[in-house]
Amino acid sequence: MAEAAVLQTTMTEAAPEKVTGGEEVLVPYASQRVAYWYFVIALALFVLQLLVGLWLGISYAFTIPQNIVDALPFGLTRAMHTNLLVLWMLLGFMGGTYYLVPEEAEREIYSVKLAYIQLVAFVATGVIALVGFAFGWTQGKPILEIPTPLDFVVVIGALIFLFNVAMTVIKGKKTAILGMLLGGLVFLALLYIFGMPFYRNLTIDWFYWWWVVHLWVEGAWELVTAAILAFVLIKVTGVDRRVVEKYLYIETALFLFTGLAGTGHHYYWIGAPSTWLWIGGIFSAMEVLPIIAMVIDTFRTQRQKGVVIKDKVVWTFAVGTAVGHLIGAGVFGFAHTLPQINYFTHGSQVTASHGHLAFFGAYALLNFTMFWYAMPKLRGVRKVDATAAISGFWIMSLAVLGLGVAMAVAGIIQTYVERVLGQGFMVAQANMQFWFKVVLVFGVVLIVGLLMTFWQMVFAKEAPGEQEATV
Amino acid sequence: MVNKKAFYIFLAGTLTSLAIFLGLTWDTHRQVDALTNADKLSEQVVAGKRVWEKKNCNLCHTILGFGVYYAPDVTKVHKRIGTEGIKQVVLQPEVVFKDSFRKMPNLGVTEQEATDLAAFLEWVSKIDNHDWPPQDSEERMSAAERRATGGAGLSRGAAAFQQNCIGCHSIGGAGGSIGPALDTIGATYDAATVAAYIAEPTSVDPQSTMPPQTTVSDDDRSAIGEFLAKQQ
Ligand code: HEC
Ligand code: HEC
Ligand code: HEM
Ligand code: HEM
Ligand SMILES: [Fe+2]
Repeated sequence: MAEAAVLQTTMTEAAPEKVTGGEEVLVPYASQRVAYWYFVIALALFVLQLLVGLWLGISYAFTIPQNIVDALPFGLTRAMHTNLLVLWMLLGFMGGTYYLVPEEAEREIYSVKLAYIQLVAFVATGVIALVGFAFGWTQGKPILEIPTPLDFVVVIGALIFLFNVAMTVIKGKKTAILGMLLGGLVFLALLYIFGMPFYRNLTIDWFYWWWVVHLWVEGAWELVTAAILAFVLIKVTGVDRRVVEKYLYIETALFLFTGLAGTGHHYYWIGAPSTWLWIGGIFSAMEVLPIIAMVIDTFRTQRQKGVVIKDKVVWTFAVGTAVGHLIGAGVFGFAHTLPQINYFTHGSQVTASHGHLAFFGAYALLNFTMFWYAMPKLRGVRKVDATAAISGFWIMSLAVLGLGVAMAVAGIIQTYVERVLGQGFMVAQANMQFWFKVVLVFGVVLIVGLLMTFWQMVFAKEAPGEQEATV
Repeated sequence: MVNKKAFYIFLAGTLTSLAIFLGLTWDTHRQVDALTNADKLSEQVVAGKRVWEKKNCNLCHTILGFGVYYAPDVTKVHKRIGTEGIKQVVLQPEVVFKDSFRKMPNLGVTEQEATDLAAFLEWVSKIDNHDWPPQDSEERMSAAERRATGGAGLSRGAAAFQQNCIGCHSIGGAGGSIGPALDTIGATYDAATVAAYIAEPTSVDPQSTMPPQTTVSDDDRSAIGEFLAKQQ
């Protein structure tokens, strides 16, 4: 372990981790191994999220008899779908952080024990929350359903996590990537607090709900993403760290500049002052800029002289993250962000379509990028079956694209029939049912793609053939 | 050093946006009481909000456009179907939606909870939210609704129908589906019977489950009766 640490400091960033004896060190710091369980559990929860998602799709596409609706309310499964989503993604981010921090700070994690305690705290909270929903133990606020006592466990878990990471960084080397990562994580944890109280006034309630949801996905999570992507970029392409760091600052500057005031795009129709229509519209429209910058940056890196992509699988997912982010958040987000359009699309399937494409394109793929970077090393697998892994990428991505587009078509029908023509909600839904059958088909394909990827990542043996440089 | 400059750009951009954001947040708190009629935000309304959360209504419905898109938005539902309509839906969804292809569960809401919910939804329907959603906007009263209720130059009966009944009944495909479509009701009832039905449905049809429409004036009832008698 100490030997490995010494080794790490003498290496240049991108050099393959070869020990002089010819043996390779895949994971330079022993404490990085905590990430393994974070990743495996995250993946399993993702599978669960999709299985529950199927029931949602079925409820939309077909008539469910009254006695089943009474026994298994749609709302229960919907709460599970989104809570599992948030839980697995946060576990993925935390695992990714534990994997990345030692290599960046060039020292072991402050306390491995705390890292495991914290994992148990989060998973236990998740299990209790999901079982609790079934018994009506809920705060009833979409996405932030978990009841207040559990909120406190989450906060304690988050504090342990932040303490652990901060202590590691303080005692180790400080890099721009670490600063950004830690900043994003602290911001993320702080925002969560605004979703906890009971607000008497519904308008204020939703006002602060968005401090969590919007400022997470269009603020704090973007910082975490940018930091993790920068790390992977350096490792996989070996480009100069200073260049990557410069872009890291510029991109996150743009993200926060547009994203903070851009929160206003959720305050158009809630009983807040009209100023938000201007500020929210203009700033959120600009939120596309940093996303475009990220895509350009990624491709620029690839084309740079002397850059050799050392891991095709990770690189596929990294480029996929940049492009998926652009499609889901950039294009589909921009499409309904101006008040003139949002007046008609607000709270329709257009929103759901964007939610799926953005969450998958930006954050599911980011997590998978990190998983594919770290999991083979954590398992001691020197060569993965790249063809299978990359086809997993395409199956999942195209399935989500199909699912998102089908929802978008349903959303446009809804917008036209319900909001423009003024026909009843259910008249619109009757015309949308076909598209939910399409959603279901793509959902099944997505599950197949995910199970394939899960198996490749967690169980598959080393691929035969020439040993590839594992970065 | 280049990165130092980049770092300062980062700081300046973030702080500018943060200042705008927090400034507007302060302004929102300043104005929200007036925009949401906070003086009418009674204990009963808050109790209704708690029922709304306890029963997970938001995990099927949207309110102010937020939540889940499985069931109709309820921001202005009080304008559409009124207190009695809301109570009926919530207490007996299995009856109200028995013919619908999408069901609402019976959530075991008590009479008191239903009253509180209605009070909450009434308060919500009066929030000044820039006239959203479009389908309930009076200003934008949709072309379809105008067509449905008698074309150009709305008669008094058509206008009153639109105001009081369209949330539950449809004509020409536009309107709600809690009650039956009334396209051919003139073949069943004459004007006076409809007027009586509105005030006390069971006086005409003892089996009727429609809540009495007590807020409709006598003159409006007669006008609606004449308007509906013509729908054959
Ligand atoms: C499982 C999903 C579900 C839950 C939970 C649910 N509803 Fe509904 N609700 C529906 C559906 C579906 C409809 C529309 C059915 C139709 O029109 O055919 C509906 C209709 C309504 C309507 C009539 C809307 C209109 O525009 O006419 C009201 C009011 C309503 N629900 C209130 C509530 C309240 C209050 C709660 C919580 C106590 C609640 N609902 C919980 C599914 C749900
Ligand atoms: C809260 C929803 C609601 C509102 C508001 C409402 N109705 Fe009804 N109405 C119903 C329901 C439900 C029925 C079906 C009653 C039954 O047969 O059990 C009905 C039935 C009727 C019928 C009898 C239809 C038939 O074929 O027998 C007439 C006529 C009628 N309503 C007229 C009106 C008029 C006029 C208004 C407006 C002043 C109005 N309703 C407002 C729910 C409503
Ligand atoms: C990766 C980043 C993003 C993610 C994960 C994301 C996710 C979501 C989700 C889940 C919702 C629905 C929330 C709800 O009501 O339940 C939403 C709403 C919305 N998003 Fe995004 N989003 C992202 C980026 C963006 C960007 C960049 C824009 C604009 C350019 C945008 C514009 C919107 C708008 C306007 C809404 C409100 C829709 C409505 O009125 O119903 N989003 N987003
Ligand atoms: C098996 C595939 C899937 C199916 C069938 C499915 C179906 C659904 C349905 C029907 C809803 C409810 C929409 C509503 O009424 O509010 C929903 C919500 C949601 N799902 Fe999925 N989903 C699937 C996969 C995913 C994936 C892969 C993600 C993200 C990575 C995701 C993220 C979300 C989010 C964020 C919401 C809330 C959206 C909003 O509030 O606008 N789902 N899903
Ligand atoms: Fe947003």
